[in-house]
Amino acid sequence: MNHFTKLAAATLLAGVTAGAAMAQELYAPNLSYRTGPFAATGIPLMNGQADYLAMLNARDGGIGGVPINAEECETGYSTEKGVECYEKTKGAAIVTQPWSTGITLQVLPKTNVDNIPILAPGYGFSPMADGTVFQWAFNMPAGYWDAADMIVQYMESEGSLDGKKVAFLHLDHPFGKEPLPVLEMHAESKGFELVPIPVGLKEMQNQSAQWLQIRRERPDYVVMWGWGAMNAGAITEAVKTKFPMDKFIGVWWSGHDADLKIVGEDGAGYKSISWSFPNMDAPVMAAIKEHVIDAGNTMSNEEEMQGVFYSRGVVISAILAEGIATAQAEYGTAEINAEQLRWGLENINMTEERISELGLDGMVPPFSTSCANHTGHSGGWMLEWDGEKFVKASDLLQADVAGYQALLAEKAAEYAESNAPWPTNESCSAMN
Amino acid sequence: MLYRTAGQFKTSYQADQALFPVKQDAFLLGVILLLAWVILPMVASEFVFQALLIPVLIFSLAALGLNILTGFAGQLSLGTGAFMGVGAYACYKMVSIFPEMNLIVAILLSGFFSAAIGVAFGIPSLRIKGFYLAIATLAAQFFLVWLFEKWAWLYNYNASGAIQVPNLDIFGIFVSGPQAASITEYYVVLFVVSLLTMVCINLTRGTLGRTWKATRDMDIAAELIGINLMKSKLTAFAISSYIVGVAGALYVFLWKGAAEPNAFDIPLSFQVLFIAIIGGLGSVLGNYLGAILIVGLPVVLNLVPNALGISINSAMVEHLNVMIVGGLIVFFLIVEPHGLNQLWRLIREKLIIWPFPH
Repeated sequence: MNHFTKLAAATLLAGVTAGAAMAQELYAPNLSYRTGPFAATGIPLMNGQADYLAMLNARDGGIGGVPINAEECETGYSTEKGVECYEKTKGAAIVTQPWSTGITLQVLPKTNVDNIPILAPGYGFSPMADGTVFQWAFNMPAGYWDAADMIVQYMESEGSLDGKKVAFLHLDHPFGKEPLPVLEMHAESKGFELVPIPVGLKEMQNQSAQWLQIRRERPDYVVMWGWGAMNAGAITEAVKTKFPMDKFIGVWWSGHDADLKIVGEDGAGYKSISWSFPNMDAPVMAAIKEHVIDAGNTMSNEEEMQGVFYSRGVVISAILAEGIATAQAEYGTAEINAEQLRWGLENINMTEERISELGLDGMVPPFSTSCANHTGHSGGWMLEWDGEKFVKASDLLQADVAGYQALLAEKAAEYAESNAPWPTNESCSAMN
Repeated sequence: MLYRTAGQFKTSYQADQALFPVKQDAFLLGVILLLAWVILPMVASEFVFQALLIPVLIFSLAALGLNILTGFAGQLSLGTGAFMGVGAYACYKMVSIFPEMNLIVAILLSGFFSAAIGVAFGIPSLRIKGFYLAIATLAAQFFLVWLFEKWAWLYNYNASGAIQVPNLDIFGIFVSGPQAASITEYYVVLFVVSLLTMVCINLTRGTLGRTWKATRDMDIAAELIGINLMKSKLTAFAISSYIVGVAGALYVFLWKGAAEPNAFDIPLSFQVLFIAIIGGLGSVLGNYLGAILIVGLPVVLNLVPNALGISINSAMVEHLNVMIVGGLIVFFLIVEPHGLNQLWRLIREKLIIWPFPH
């Protein structure tokens, strides 16, 4: 009997210590895609994300003294692998980062049941901005509808859009169709003609048919919602057909340095709206260089680090880290859980001061989230390719969120209804 | 010794024509069914359900459907993915038009839509064969995926163009959608898959199966002995597409939860075709073995480095995984070109005469 008690006590002790050992880190998995057809754009983003968190671990010993385990689970951008990764990581995870619109669509309804915050910075379903309906989903600092609105504003700043023609070249995929409601709304109110031109997933690299149509239609602007191989295809085709590059505007996922390096000088004038900017002089870049690059713990390289996507990865991790820090401060514990991180992500206040405190000067516009506003609507800069790199071509643009607030609420309600029973957060009354 | 068939005398035609005339086979099947229906659900975690059990069953069913057409009736098809899509969209439309409909009924009905489409695209098979027929089914693949994208009514005019599975319940228990528990989803899938497998085993043994095999082996000879080729080929297309359509409905409703049109694109057709080929054309068991190899093994391999405590980059794991699975496929095809089913058949035969081979 005595023997048995000892054994039981030992097991219990082992269990407790093992439990404690397990909790000595914050598990923030990333459903990465370093393989597959979109790897070229995925790698710099993943490297930026990983390097920022590695820097925090090396410099500060993590966040609030607890190291972050930013394990990657490879999806290759495939939704099937995405589900597998989500199921594999969700047990201990405090956040899930699905990284593809397809995976986001699948994971989104599940997070409401599993109670895990889903962080989809700058992608996913735009109505996720409505925090009352999408309690667990975050797409700060800006959503696709913000991007569409800012692009329209930018075009308008070059002269009235009345009677003009805007071609909307997009990937024929949930991602590409996402901004259509807002663009259609603006086309109606501002009097321009919107010509949606879809590019099928199989035609990404050969868009001659689409560009023939663009030549025939003679649009004043081409707005692009492209990803992966589609961007390079469109940009080279635009150069070939001599479309004026300064009338060619892409979303933030269409502003990849490597895609424009292919055409170099010929691509000068191409624009891309963005909520992140590669500021190599920002203190955070120096810190990453010191603690990660020089220590040899990176998979990145000098050239990649100067690109827009690497710095965007850094900003994304910084947002996540800020959410974690906010939650830690609120709950007075370093080892937060998923529920507490949700509160943290809902209460991010990235003021100018906070941004420079984090060393992110000029890399992300200030924004703040709330219980009802899960996007933050930071606004963004219009970046322009000068032949060698992206430079800021405008001041900070702000999306006119009030203009599509009704649409946003309507779509969110529609989603909740078609997924009933869908618990909403009634305690949030203030809208975006 | 373990698999001795000596002494198992059949005294009636009925016993001789039983589904599993050898006692050990029936016993083995019993063990597998017990495992699938009782033991696995008790021990499986949510990850095992979602990443292993459910997809393996669904892909087995899809491969079984294709195997009826390609393995039993000899008509090569590259349109499986699109036919799965027809089933999925049909089921989606049915549950959105009749929300109170029982999901299992809707899934079983959705197969009829893909059967009808399958027959329509099977008509060219009366005139053309082999690779040329493959091209005709490839046309179905491209056309249907295009239709899923363009026909907004199919996805209820959803802005993103994707279909999203609602929470559906049967007698108060959620069986699909995010609220459903994995174990319920598993049982629904297992029920449908078991049911259709049973039907298929019987079909392929009966008149219809023999007609298909005759058509496959030599269609002119089959016609000469009085087989109606049109009937034989079109029934193969209909039944194959029915099963594939049901698999497609299960694929979206009980596993993925959401799907965009390009989920049904040609890679899915190839995946199912590979399962059927590696499992063994013209077999029922082979589909399960093939699905375990192609769908299940990569998931298990992904877990190995972590379980062994080796820390390697997840992208590297993925690359290694592709190489290992590719290598295994080549290995199995060299060892046994007729697929895993044949491998099992040989092992079984050896076991029967063991330990005294002649």
